[in-house]
Amino acid sequence: MGLAARYLEEAGLSTVVLTPTPEFHRLVGIPRSTAIAYPYGRPVGQVGDKEGQRQVLFETLSMLENAKKPGEIRHLSPVWPEEPKDAKWQPPEMSPVIKLYLDDIRAARRRKG
Amino acid sequence: MAVSDNPVDGFRFLPPSLGAWIAERIGAEEFKGQIPWTPLAKPLNQSRLTLVTSAGISMKTDPPFDMEREKKEGTWGDRSYRAIPREATEADIDIRHLHINTDYVLQDINVMLPVARMSEFEQEGIIGSLAPTVYSFYGFQWQSTDFVQEAIEPMSRKMKEEGVDAVILTPA
Repeated sequence: MGLAARYLEEAGLSTVVLTPTPEFHRLVGIPRSTAIAYPYGRPVGQVGDKEGQRQVLFETLSMLENAKKPGEIRHLSPVWPEEPKDAKWQPPEMSPVIKLYLDDIRAARRRKG
Repeated sequence: MAVSDNPVDGFRFLPPSLGAWIAERIGAEEFKGQIPWTPLAKPLNQSRLTLVTSAGISMKTDPPFDMEREKKEGTWGDRSYRAIPREATEADIDIRHLHINTDYVLQDINVMLPVARMSEFEQEGIIGSLAPTVYSFYGFQWQSTDFVQEAIEPMSRKMKEEGVDAVILTPA
């Protein structure tokens, strides 16, 4: 998504990425981001929570006007009401790329120690 | 809503092994290259906005994103995109994505592609307008940048035709 934002910005459009994983900025260089600690697949908020969705979007929009320099990230404060293990964001089946790299993924945890 | 002093931990929702693996791939170094920058040319309440999500959403009247090839070739991801009219609701869309639970988007499109919320902001004068078209591509693009030319470039041309000033992007 960062590459898409970079392309659009080069094409003369202002962008902001509402991201659950702000760490990708280190890899890609994203013009403006708001970061939210929400599960993958629901960055704007919970199903049916209009007010919560509005607040997240309002802060994201304000980043378009208020960001001062390229690469700025604003970390938003709302907390997801479920623990990660209860958020059920994962697909019903393990994704193909994870199946492909499963041994290395398991090894990464050991490498981290 | 407050802005937080505590940085968001993007790995919090991941299983520890997958989090460690992705963190390794991202690395610890700060980004050092140039970052493109287009400041907003007009106040928000005079600007035209659109939305882009990488959630693999399509209209039921269009072909869905291709998951079958990815199931056979785990590092391949569909590089196409879909234009979606701003009036689209849960009833009008299909979603294909092998890396998230897609049920929530089918219950409330706004969790990923917030067209109804943006329409409210338009009516309230918070933004100038929401463009007629919003967009989706498919976010799993493994070590490939081809999707930028194949999906994002044509989107950007349509955005220009529709007078878009700014874009909110929501990764899945």
